[in-house]
Amino acid sequence: MEEFWQQVVTGIATGSVYGLLALAIVLIYRSTSVLNFAQGEMAMLTTFVAWSILQWGEYWVMFPLVLVIAAGMGAFIERVIIRPVEGAPVLNIIIVTLGMFAILNNVATWRWGGIPKGFPAPPEIEVTGIRFMGEGALDIGPTVVSYHDLTILVFAVAIMVALYVFFQYTPLGLAMRATAQNPVASRLMGIRVGRMLTVGWALSATVGAVAGLLIAPLILLQPPMMMGVLLFAFAAAVLGGLDSPVGAVVGGLIIGVSENLVGTYTPKEWLGPDMKLTVTLLIIVVVLLIRPTGIFGRRAMRRV
Amino acid sequence: MRRLSPPPTSKLVIFVVIAFFLLWWVPFSHVLPEGFPLRFGTYRTFQGSMIAMWAIVALGLNILTGYNGQISLGHSAFVAIGGYTAAILMVDYGWPFWTTIIIGGLIAGGIGFLIGVPALRLTGPYLAIATLGLALATPQILKKYDGLTHGTQGINVRPEVPASPDFIEDWFGIKLSNDEWIYFLALFIALLMLVLALNIVRSRVGRAFVAIRDSEIAAQAMGISVPRYKIIAFGISAFYGGIAGGTYAQVVGYVSPESFNFLLSINFLTTIVVGGLASILGSVLGATGLIVVPELPGIVSFIPGAGLPDELSWAFYGAALILVMIFAPYGLAGLFHRLVRVGPARVAGVLTPVQGAWLSWRERRRAPPASPGQTGAGSEDRSSGDQPGTE
Repeated sequence: MEEFWQQVVTGIATGSVYGLLALAIVLIYRSTSVLNFAQGEMAMLTTFVAWSILQWGEYWVMFPLVLVIAAGMGAFIERVIIRPVEGAPVLNIIIVTLGMFAILNNVATWRWGGIPKGFPAPPEIEVTGIRFMGEGALDIGPTVVSYHDLTILVFAVAIMVALYVFFQYTPLGLAMRATAQNPVASRLMGIRVGRMLTVGWALSATVGAVAGLLIAPLILLQPPMMMGVLLFAFAAAVLGGLDSPVGAVVGGLIIGVSENLVGTYTPKEWLGPDMKLTVTLLIIVVVLLIRPTGIFGRRAMRRV
Repeated sequence: MRRLSPPPTSKLVIFVVIAFFLLWWVPFSHVLPEGFPLRFGTYRTFQGSMIAMWAIVALGLNILTGYNGQISLGHSAFVAIGGYTAAILMVDYGWPFWTTIIIGGLIAGGIGFLIGVPALRLTGPYLAIATLGLALATPQILKKYDGLTHGTQGINVRPEVPASPDFIEDWFGIKLSNDEWIYFLALFIALLMLVLALNIVRSRVGRAFVAIRDSEIAAQAMGISVPRYKIIAFGISAFYGGIAGGTYAQVVGYVSPESFNFLLSINFLTTIVVGGLASILGSVLGATGLIVVPELPGIVSFIPGAGLPDELSWAFYGAALILVMIFAPYGLAGLFHRLVRVGPARVAGVLTPVQGAWLSWRERRRAPPASPGQTGAGSEDRSSGDQPGTE
């Protein structure tokens, strides 16, 4: 039983990272119907920038700085690269993001080299006697959980809640939702649609940057580090429903946990750890066949 | 909206493709005398064979995605099925190569039909990611069930790959090297598949595909069985993938699980979008572009002062993708159609506004007198030409 809980807890931790990157993907998908294949590489690049800043600065100085840089990068990419193809067929924009994938990956390899680097977890903070983050592990009864895994989960849930509040209650969030639903009507209502798209990309890049900063301590910092994560994040976003931030996180958790359980509890001869990816993907496909727009996704209504 | 000239006919497409492949072959063949400046050796011949193989996949994927509107990121799986079927039958059972290619295509096509059934429930990005799962699972499955697939070490097909038969020498007086024989073999298969694709997209079935892509409801109202034709599209497309896989086994002479990873699938999708969706010619142009462009920095670097550092070649490729999408939204085929229609200078924006105005005046003179949609300078090359349609 202890093994079971151990697998569940580590699954939740990796699943939270998938969920975070899936959140970033959902943010862009909601506003532009584009799957951003460069999302992982954007996160990877900001993590490298963070690594460079850490060479002379404190972690908590670097953290906000990197978020600002990420937002700037997201806004820049939207204005300079995505804007010229705005209104083009969705597949064209997807190919543009694939082009960015190649560029960002190549630039990171060129600038920082392909050798894996260690990256620190967020250092310990103590608030009113309760310890957050840092090294070590916490005993939670059936099993132990590392502080860093807890950090990831807390960040994922906090960002999800923050985004929910942002989209539900703030004027900017409402304007962005309006833009996503009906750009023409939004423009007529005085919303600056182009600016909303820029903000959406900036926000998405920021969330992705957090995902990069949190997963880098688990899987060394190197140019291809986000590729696998990105694929799982796509799967998570699709599983949860591409237009649902809650679905993204839930989807990530489901994938993280089921991946671990499949690896541990299926017969080794013909499934087992080697096939955990395949079985997880199969589970996703089965879920999609029952709910074609994901668990939390709204059914696309089309006017005829 | 009016057409200034008819779109390239299928004859033109076939001619362009044949001419292209022959022109590709000549400089690299060993038929040319020793010391001839354009003799580049067999690597380029191999590359030409790869273009032919990629063109086959692109044709199939274009039928599914371009003509029928179903996005697949799983085509590396069908290529793997074709490649492995051919390799296993040739190496383990000693079958002649051409039967293995056909059987590989049929098996892949059959599996494509089966996958087409659940795919009916999914659309757009959901279908894309679900099929991406297929591509991700393929290498794992190939590694795991190694009794059939020889596991991670892959299968070496090279000893079984056919050599140039004697009749070529008897008929043409040319002794082809093995690479060149495979090149013409791949070219022959690609042309066969190209003619087949041209016929499919202009048949009743092809028109049904397009109708479904444009509006499923309208297609249904016209009496088209949407599920049946969507499954057929998947099957045909997978069949193309399988044939390409069999060709791949001959061209490369080696199949392994890692030859068919998910990046291949993503590259296939890139091929048809860059080449031109719903365009037969675009499939071939896209295949050429995707094989050749990543090498351009290396080629350019022969010129002193030009060229990029080697380590940035992938960034160059990415930038090329983005630029094509910005400046040729209908892909290379769209660009080609415009070149045919309005001439290279006009496309490149070389003409002055005065000349442009003169051209549009002349075009207006040629137009039938009553054409209310006509608005004047520059509007026609935007509205008439680049629409992806059937050709």
